Amino acid sequence: MYIKGVGMTKFDYSTRSWWDFAYSAAIEALQDAKMSMSDIDAIVFTSISSAAGGEHQTHKVSFLSDIFKTNVPIIELVSVCGGGGAAFWTALKMQGFKNVMVLAAEKFADNRSEVATDWILSAAERVYEQTEGMLFPTQNALVWQAYMKKYGATMDDLSLIAHKNHQNAALNPKAYFYKKPLELEKIKNSPEVSSPLRLMDCSLSVNGGAAVILSSEKSDIEVIGSGFATDYILTFGRDDMTHFKATQMAAKEAFENAGITPKDIDVAEIHDAFTSVELISYEDLGFAEEGKGAELIRSGKINLDGEMPINVSGGLKAKGHPISVTGLAQIYEIVHQLRGDCGDRQVKKHNIGLTHNIGGAGGSVTVHIFKKI
Amino acid sequence: MVFYQCSKCKKKWQHPVSICPFCFSELEVIRAKEAKVIASSKVSIPSLLHPKVPYYALVIEDEHGNRYAYKSMENRKVGDSLNLETDGSYDAVAIWKVNYNLLDAIEKIADLSCLQLKKDTKVLVLPTLVAPVHNYMRENTSLEFLDAVLSYLEEKGVKNIKIATQSFDDMPIEAMAQKSGLLDVCLKHKMVPFDLSAGEFESIGKAKLSKELKNNDIILNLAELKYGKASSVENLLKLFEKQNYQALKYLHGEECLGEIIKEINNVFTLGEAMHPQRIDKFPIFRSLVFGSRNASSLDAVFNATGMVKNIPKQLASINISNIPTVGRTISEVQRNVDLVL
Repeated sequence: MYIKGVGMTKFDYSTRSWWDFAYSAAIEALQDAKMSMSDIDAIVFTSISSAAGGEHQTHKVSFLSDIFKTNVPIIELVSVCGGGGAAFWTALKMQGFKNVMVLAAEKFADNRSEVATDWILSAAERVYEQTEGMLFPTQNALVWQAYMKKYGATMDDLSLIAHKNHQNAALNPKAYFYKKPLELEKIKNSPEVSSPLRLMDCSLSVNGGAAVILSSEKSDIEVIGSGFATDYILTFGRDDMTHFKATQMAAKEAFENAGITPKDIDVAEIHDAFTSVELISYEDLGFAEEGKGAELIRSGKINLDGEMPINVSGGLKAKGHPISVTGLAQIYEIVHQLRGDCGDRQVKKHNIGLTHNIGGAGGSVTVHIFKKI
Repeated sequence: MVFYQCSKCKKKWQHPVSICPFCFSELEVIRAKEAKVIASSKVSIPSLLHPKVPYYALVIEDEHGNRYAYKSMENRKVGDSLNLETDGSYDAVAIWKVNYNLLDAIEKIADLSCLQLKKDTKVLVLPTLVAPVHNYMRENTSLEFLDAVLSYLEEKGVKNIKIATQSFDDMPIEAMAQKSGLLDVCLKHKMVPFDLSAGEFESIGKAKLSKELKNNDIILNLAELKYGKASSVENLLKLFEKQNYQALKYLHGEECLGEIIKEINNVFTLGEAMHPQRIDKFPIFRSLVFGSRNASSLDAVFNATGMVKNIPKQLASINISNIPTVGRTISEVQRNVDLVL
């Protein structure tokens, strides 16, 4: 399958409705693909924000039918932060459709932070985790503690990741932190939210939308690998607390699918919901050996001017993380990087790119690989 | 914490699934005797479910290698054992979280409260039965709670169990028991609930109380807890003779009745707070169970866990900090129930 067009709104705290974010992203993708709505044979939509901000809207597929004035099949699926990747994976499996639009939109950050925190917490297990205070930063803080104890990485390594992603976001006009670079010291001295993770180790909950048009007709970008795996919702009931098995499995499948190895990747967008997740994912995706993730960030190889830049968009950390939208926003970035039109943040080598999208604390993961034709 | 393991392929679950989906074998219940802290994170950001910070999110591991999450307001160190104290004193209130398994939670409350039941103990179960409505409205004792309590008594070998209550309005208890489904639970356990008003009452001071109080060793007061109310005390009032109850209430108010109830010393209240009603009557997810010999203490502690300020006078006058709690602490399970369902 090929990617015909991509669209994405700026990530921000604007108070537009969810459907307005979806509409803007879809229009940009259609224009990018040089298509109109009449060319779209099906839509796969993902979002979690139906109950936020008074937008009590669950039958979104019918809503989308109305605003797009279409009667094609529209599927809605939810996989929290991994929704975008899961929707894209689903669209890839849809046979008999020439052009499928994959769409995501969230108006998520629209209330006091306690509400957003509680809303995100709903992705954790209700009885065993939510009621025991296992917020997402907390789950990841505990995973990171176990990792540090086993492999000896440090909080300074995480600071380097946050710094890298903030520097990249400062160059991305659609990132929340565009033109707002952050000094390393500010990251290191940011307040602790769940020990040992600090505020600046956490991604930014924002609003936004993104769209990708998949087609069986050849275009300039081909999807050459796809992998999807799930893992237990009870994070600490998994065999290994220090790594994400679902990422390892999805990556293995995607690389086998593509017939390439991690060394062939030129640029990647990794799910840095927390800086610790980015570091652990270097290893789970095969970019670093087990326990050597810290060496990769220290080496500078994954900086914008490095051998294989990671999260040049600014990542979830500094571009922003509008939950279900993230997976498609990652594809938006990789498509533009492969096309070579990213301006100040354009990577040097740009033939093959990878996206890695996680739902929950490693509970559902998709990995996709793209090639410039 | 209870875990479940397939007797054949040894896969483990924390959720009480019915059967192994791989080999279709029955699951064995794995109980732990010891549990230690293996990781701890100090959480500094408040959320609707956890407004009080800082708290500590712990990962606990038992002797079988099973790991689970546990919230504590106390900074426990890695390697510390998770030992829970017990308290059988009159005022003590036990608080426990229901992890899907109500029977396990009731057993835990009994252990924490040092509740002793023997085979020859005569037990009168006093469910909350106040409206002919479906279970999910959370007006009455829930079907699953009554079922778990009766199963617990049977498990303990208690032979002499009676279930009774009384209606203080025109609705007969038979009709309420039928509509609510409680009758079916009683019948499942080969019991039939009876109406206390059909029995005898005896005068104790100003009060006329059911003779069942003396005929039984223990009254198990199954209070369906409701925020903004003294639900445990209210349910015990069903032990009064109806006219006597109405007269005392009219002349002296419910507080006076509560004072009389305090004199009864063979009561243990099991407070159900799986989905207790808020003041506006909307049921809210809590998944908690409480236990105490002192119904007023239990009601006061329960209301404190919901950060409810508008409570009956007799509860407002209780100094919560003087009530010993065991199991979970009030702070660990506390949240403002008005903010979210």
